[in-house]
Amino acid sequence: MKYTSRVAAFAMLLLASLVTPPVQAQEPVTIGLVVPLSPPGDPTAGQLIRRGAELALDYYNGKGGVLGGRKLQLSVQDSQGRPEGGVAAYRRVVGEDKAVAVTGFFHSSVNIAANEVAKSIGVPTIGTQTSAADITAKHYEIAFRTHLIDPLRVAAWLEFMQKKGFKRVSMLAETSDYGIGLVTETDRQIKEKKLPIELQSLTFDRTSTDLTPQLLQVKAFRPDLLVNVGVGAPMDLMIEQAATLAITPQVPMLVSYDAPIRPQFWQLHPNTGDKLYFIAYYSPKQTLSEIGTWFTKAYEEKYKESPVYSSLNGFGDVAIIAQAVEQAKGADPKAIIQTLETGKFAFWSSGEVTFPKADGVFWHNFSPPVLILQFQKPGQDWKEAEVMFESGK
Amino acid sequence: MFSFELFTQALLAGIVIGVIYALMALGITFIYSIVKMINWAMGEFYMLGSYAQYLIVAYWLGPDLWYIAAILSAATVFFAGWLIEPILIKPMFTGGIERRDDYATVVTIALLLLLRNLATAISGPYQRTPGTNLPGVMLGPLPESGARFAAFLAALAAIALFTLLLKRTWLGLALRATSQSRVGAQTSGVDVLSLDKLAFGIGVGLAGLAGALLAPVFMVYPTNGVVTTTKGFEIIVIGGLGSVPGALVAGVALGIAESLGATFIASAYQNAYGFVLLLLVLALRPSGLFGERLRQA
Repeated sequence: MKYTSRVAAFAMLLLASLVTPPVQAQEPVTIGLVVPLSPPGDPTAGQLIRRGAELALDYYNGKGGVLGGRKLQLSVQDSQGRPEGGVAAYRRVVGEDKAVAVTGFFHSSVNIAANEVAKSIGVPTIGTQTSAADITAKHYEIAFRTHLIDPLRVAAWLEFMQKKGFKRVSMLAETSDYGIGLVTETDRQIKEKKLPIELQSLTFDRTSTDLTPQLLQVKAFRPDLLVNVGVGAPMDLMIEQAATLAITPQVPMLVSYDAPIRPQFWQLHPNTGDKLYFIAYYSPKQTLSEIGTWFTKAYEEKYKESPVYSSLNGFGDVAIIAQAVEQAKGADPKAIIQTLETGKFAFWSSGEVTFPKADGVFWHNFSPPVLILQFQKPGQDWKEAEVMFESGK
Repeated sequence: MFSFELFTQALLAGIVIGVIYALMALGITFIYSIVKMINWAMGEFYMLGSYAQYLIVAYWLGPDLWYIAAILSAATVFFAGWLIEPILIKPMFTGGIERRDDYATVVTIALLLLLRNLATAISGPYQRTPGTNLPGVMLGPLPESGARFAAFLAALAAIALFTLLLKRTWLGLALRATSQSRVGAQTSGVDVLSLDKLAFGIGVGLAGLAGALLAPVFMVYPTNGVVTTTKGFEIIVIGGLGSVPGALVAGVALGIAESLGATFIASAYQNAYGFVLLLLVLALRPSGLFGERLRQA
């Protein structure tokens, strides 16, 4: 009887060990994705970044995951483009879902606010499309970024203005860290470089829908160029309302980010988008890395359209975190931070990404090249838009 | 940078947007005067109107028949309100609820969240526009988009028609009687519960009309009604709760204050000038410009 009991117990233990594999091997590694999925944030950007991040998971999980078989998973939270929403989202992905790193940030204010919490919690952030200087200029150990920073964006458009001979420039910016940061930096660089540009800077509340009072002042100023520093709906409203007041197309408009490459752009601006200049960070003519080429193909198969920068960077940032986990040989956030600082990572663009402890705003920062494109006719595919300026050329 | 031309342009722009604001606020003040409740979901009915306009224009009638689309959109929102009222609002009077104000606040905020999230889930968070073929116009020195000018004229017409309805019809008489005293009207044979349903439908229909008219101007997206709610409440407090002329005067005053303030003081505080005006009015006339002082036992 005793013998039978022992055999039964042994058999049960054996069965249990077969049914229950080691916990460690199955536990997924969670990456936090804090993106704007509803207004007043820019939900289009949020969705595009999410698409890229999800495909990065497909890529790594298709290869068997990380750390010898652990799957990657995303914890997605909506920041609504609000700093307080971003902080709550960061706390949730880190506190509840145990994310080892958090990325996806699109609005600078959200990234800045989340970093203030992250510096005490210790889980790193990677800014996907946030450009305000403070994100990396504060030299927080946890703060990383793979997007164009304000000084480089401003340097690019000032060089472009010089080349085009624009002497009077109006800048209409939303009162966010992004908008105010760009206005301040533009003013600073004009003074520092002693450029012959007279700058009119005006700001508006992001929730405003009627920009007529600001645009009337722009019209009275008679600028050579109007820089549109709105994000999401305000950017679109400014395009329409500037045309209504007969400011554009006589005065050309430069949109401060790559929103015009989005599929719905021509549906919103069938008569007002022509000849628009806009900043871009990616051109289909660029050479891509191996994973970038895989991503482009997978994205086109899944969404039946070409990927845009937001998706590419969403993919790239999750890929960097996956590689950092692998190189750190563990999912401890501190080890990931150390690996991000010292390692080299494949990205969607060719060449390797590093995050050196560089001076000032260049701390933990990787910037893509800046392009200024211009539509040549209504309804034009952005991939055919003319490259009017490329940084470093 | 003061110039007479800029001042005139800013003033005209303020008047145009002010009349549009007034239309946004009219529904709120009307529902308050009849049903004695604040509808916090008013902006979402504006949003529904703008989506209806987008769908009707983009997929059915086309931009040339925008005015028919606007009427159909307002009617759609009217029916939505007419259907919702018996389910959510009527229990306020028939369900033995003691704290009606609290009930109305909770129910309409829940409705706000439901409608906003439904819109996001069904249509996505993206901006859309029904488009317009209306040519631009010159209002003196101010170039104005055809769609905004049409919205301005239509808002004036809607306010005039609404005033006529209230002043010259039996229905208007019943509505005015109910607004003065629900018990008195009921004693005189007015079916106030049926009238509540109609008033709620008309009120949200007015917001829907504003949404439809402004869809090509301010675009269509799930949270485009937020402005309606904030401006609407500023206007009804400035103009006086329940006052139609008050809504028109306060709307125009708010539009002018915002436009001149943003043009000549500081553009970043455009939304703050309305609150300054509101505080001023509350300090001088706590019941609003056209509000009536009520003595309650």
